[in-house]
Amino acid sequence: MTFTSWQFGVFVAIVFGAYYLPPFRTLQIQLLVIASLFFYGYGQPELLLLLAVAVFGTYLFLILALRNRPIWLPIGIAFNIALLAFFKYKFLFVDPASASLIGVAPIDFLLRLPLPIGISFFVFHNISLLVDLTRQKSAVPDLKNVFLYIIFFPQLVSGPITRAEMFMPQIEPKYFSDVPFVEAAKWILTGFFFKLYVANNLNEMTSYMAFPLYETLQTQDRWLLVFLYSYQIYADFFGYSAIAIGLALLFGYRLPINFNLPYTSASFSEFWTRWHMSLSSWLRTYLYIPLGGNRHGSFRTYLNLMIVMGLGGLWHGAGLSYLTWGLLHGLLLVIERPFIGRLQAIDSTVFRAIRIGFVFLCVTMLWIFFKLPNFDHAIGYLSGMFTPSTNPNPPKLFYNLALLYSLPVIIQHLASRSLFERTLRGAEPYLYGSMAALMYLEAGSETSFIYFQF
Amino acid sequence: MQPVYAAHWLVKCGLSAAMLLLACGIATAWFGNGLQLPSTTTRDGTLITLNRYAKEPIPDVALVGSSLTFRLKEEYFATPKLRNLALAGGSPVTGLEIVANQPRLPRIVLVEVNVLSRATDTALVERYSRSGNAEPLFFRPIRTAVAAYENWLHAPLSHAQVSFALNQLVEQPPSSFDSHLYADRALQQFNAEDPSVAARMNARRIEQLIPQIERRGARVLLFELPYSEQLESSRSATLTREIIHSQFPNPDRWLRLDYARGELRWADGVHLDERSAVIVTRSIDKALASLLGAGG
Repeated sequence: MTFTSWQFGVFVAIVFGAYYLPPFRTLQIQLLVIASLFFYGYGQPELLLLLAVAVFGTYLFLILALRNRPIWLPIGIAFNIALLAFFKYKFLFVDPASASLIGVAPIDFLLRLPLPIGISFFVFHNISLLVDLTRQKSAVPDLKNVFLYIIFFPQLVSGPITRAEMFMPQIEPKYFSDVPFVEAAKWILTGFFFKLYVANNLNEMTSYMAFPLYETLQTQDRWLLVFLYSYQIYADFFGYSAIAIGLALLFGYRLPINFNLPYTSASFSEFWTRWHMSLSSWLRTYLYIPLGGNRHGSFRTYLNLMIVMGLGGLWHGAGLSYLTWGLLHGLLLVIERPFIGRLQAIDSTVFRAIRIGFVFLCVTMLWIFFKLPNFDHAIGYLSGMFTPSTNPNPPKLFYNLALLYSLPVIIQHLASRSLFERTLRGAEPYLYGSMAALMYLEAGSETSFIYFQF
Repeated sequence: MQPVYAAHWLVKCGLSAAMLLLACGIATAWFGNGLQLPSTTTRDGTLITLNRYAKEPIPDVALVGSSLTFRLKEEYFATPKLRNLALAGGSPVTGLEIVANQPRLPRIVLVEVNVLSRATDTALVERYSRSGNAEPLFFRPIRTAVAAYENWLHAPLSHAQVSFALNQLVEQPPSSFDSHLYADRALQQFNAEDPSVAARMNARRIEQLIPQIERRGARVLLFELPYSEQLESSRSATLTREIIHSQFPNPDRWLRLDYARGELRWADGVHLDERSAVIVTRSIDKALASLLGAGG
C-alpha cells in the first residue's frame, strides 16, 4: 500500500477516525500497532513474520542488554546487522529464480523471499532502541511501545529514521483537540505535491536515463536529465518524508525533519546536515562517533569519514555503484575538510553562490550512480556527457515542460524564507489549495517512491 | 481560537482547490481535450496518435505495427488521409484490435508483422474501444499550456511542407553512422529470444480479425519492413517470418514493396534511419497509389 494509493487514503481515514474515539483512548498504541502491521502486511504478508522476528528479537536483546550492556548490546546490534545483511546482500550470492538453492526447505524459503520493504529503516530503529535505552539505563519498556516505535506506519517504509530517545517519550495518550491540523495539512499537501507534480512528472523524462535508452540522447540532454534527476530524487524523498511527518502529526507524534533545502549547501559537510538528515544523524551518532569521530587526529578522521560514507553507500544497496557514490562523497568531505575554515571566512555573497553552485554540481553528478546501479551503465552515461552525440535520431525532450515541473524545487530553494513566512502568509491557505488542485490535475504517471527500494 | 483558525484555514484551502478544479473543468468543457499534449515518452506519442485517430474523421489508410513502423512518420507519406497507429514497444495486434473496434473503418489497413512476440495491450484496446464520450473531466493545465505554445511554435507539418527537405535527404548518400555496437546488442537479443508461442498466437488473432474487418468493407494487407543483413538471419526474425508466412501463404494478402535495399541504413540494426524510412515510405506510397486507384 503506497502513500499515493486510494487504499491508503481509506486506511488512514479509518485509523484516524477510530484513534480519537473515547473507547479507544486506552488502546491507542495497540490500534496503531495493529494498523501498522496491516499496512506492512498488505502487500507482503509473508514478511510479517520477519518483522515479528526483528521486533521480538530486538526486545529480547534489549532486556538482556539492560542487565549486562557490554555483552548483550553488541550481540543485539550484530543480530540486526545480520538480518539486514542477509536480506539486502543475499542476491549477490544466490539467484532466487534458480530451481534449487541449498536444498533445505526453510533456508530456501528465506533465500527466495524478496527484499523486505523498509528493512534498512526498521533495522536502524532497532539499533537506536538498543543503544539509547541501555545508555540511559531506562526501565524495560512495554513491548507494545517498542512495537510502535519500530513499526509506526508513517515512518516504517522509508523513515525519517527516528531515534528512540526522541520517539519513546512521546508515547502517551493523545487528544483530538491537540492535533495541529494546519501544520499536518501543510506537510501532507506539500509532500503529495512534490511527489505527484514534480517527481512523477520528472520521472517520465528521466526514464530516458535508463540503459540502453540513454545512448540515444543528445549530449546536452544527458546533462539536462542529470539535473532533472537531482530535482526528482529530492522531490520524491522530500515528498515522502513530508507526508510521513504530516501523518505522524495527525496521530500526535512529531518525527524529525529530514531535509532542509539541501541544494543551498555551500560545502559537502553542510550538504550532509541538510540532506536525509535523520540518516546523517544516525550514522554520526551510531557509527562515526563510536569509530572515534575527529578525536584521533587527521588521518583517523579522514579514514572514519570514508568508512562511514562507504557504509552509508552500501546501506542503500549491494552494488559497486552505491559504494562508489558513498566513497566519492566521503572523498569530497575529506578533500574539503582542511580548507573549510578558510572558505567560510571569506565573507562574499558571490563567492558563497559559486560554492553552492559547485556543491550542487558535484552532488548532482554523483546521483548518476544512484540512478544507474549497474556500474558500467553509470560510467557509460557519465562518459557520454563529455563526448558529442552521433545519433542522428535523438528523442525530443520538452525543455519548457522540464522547467515547469522542476520549478517548485527551484522556488523552494531560491526564494527567501521570509517571502513565505511574512509576505505570503495571508495567501497561504489559497497557495496550498492551489497545490492540492494542481497535484490532482497535473499528476505524472504513478511510480513508487525511489527510497522504497532501500 | 486554535480550532477556529484551523477550520478557517482548511476551508479556505479546500475552497481554493475546488475553485481551481471548477475553472479547469469549465475550460475543459468549453475548449475540449483537443490539443495535442507534448509527449515526454514514446508511449505518450502513441496515445496522441490514437487520440487523434479516435477523434478525427476516419482516414483512407491506417498503419498498425511496432516501433519499426512507428519510425515512418505520417508527413513522410504522400498518400493523403493516412494515419500511422504503430506502437513503439507494442504489438501490431493492439493497433489492429483498436481499428477493428471503431464504428467506422479505413479503406485499407496495413499490418506490419515483423514483431509478433509481444502480447496485446488489453488496457489500451479497452480504452480506445469504449463508445461514447470517454474524455476526462479535466485537462492538464501545465501540459495544455505547453501544448498550445508548442503547437503555435511548431505546427505539425504536412507532406507538402516537408517534401522538399525529404527530396534533399533522399538525394544525399546513405548515412555513415556506425551502428555496429547497437546492432550487435540487438542481434544478441534477437538470437536469445524464441517468439514462437506468442507469434503463433498473434498470427492466429490477426487471422481472426481480418475477416471481421473485411466483412465491413475494408481491406487488410500485411507487410514486413527490412532489418539489417545480420538481423534478417537472427533466430527471432527467422522464426517470426516462418510462422506468419505459413499462416498467410497467399501472396495477395501481402503488400508488395519495391525499394533499393542497398540504399537502406539502420540506426541500430532494427530501426530504419530517417533517410531509409523515407525511401521505404515512398515504396509504400507507390503500392498504395495502385491499390487506392484500383479501388476507386
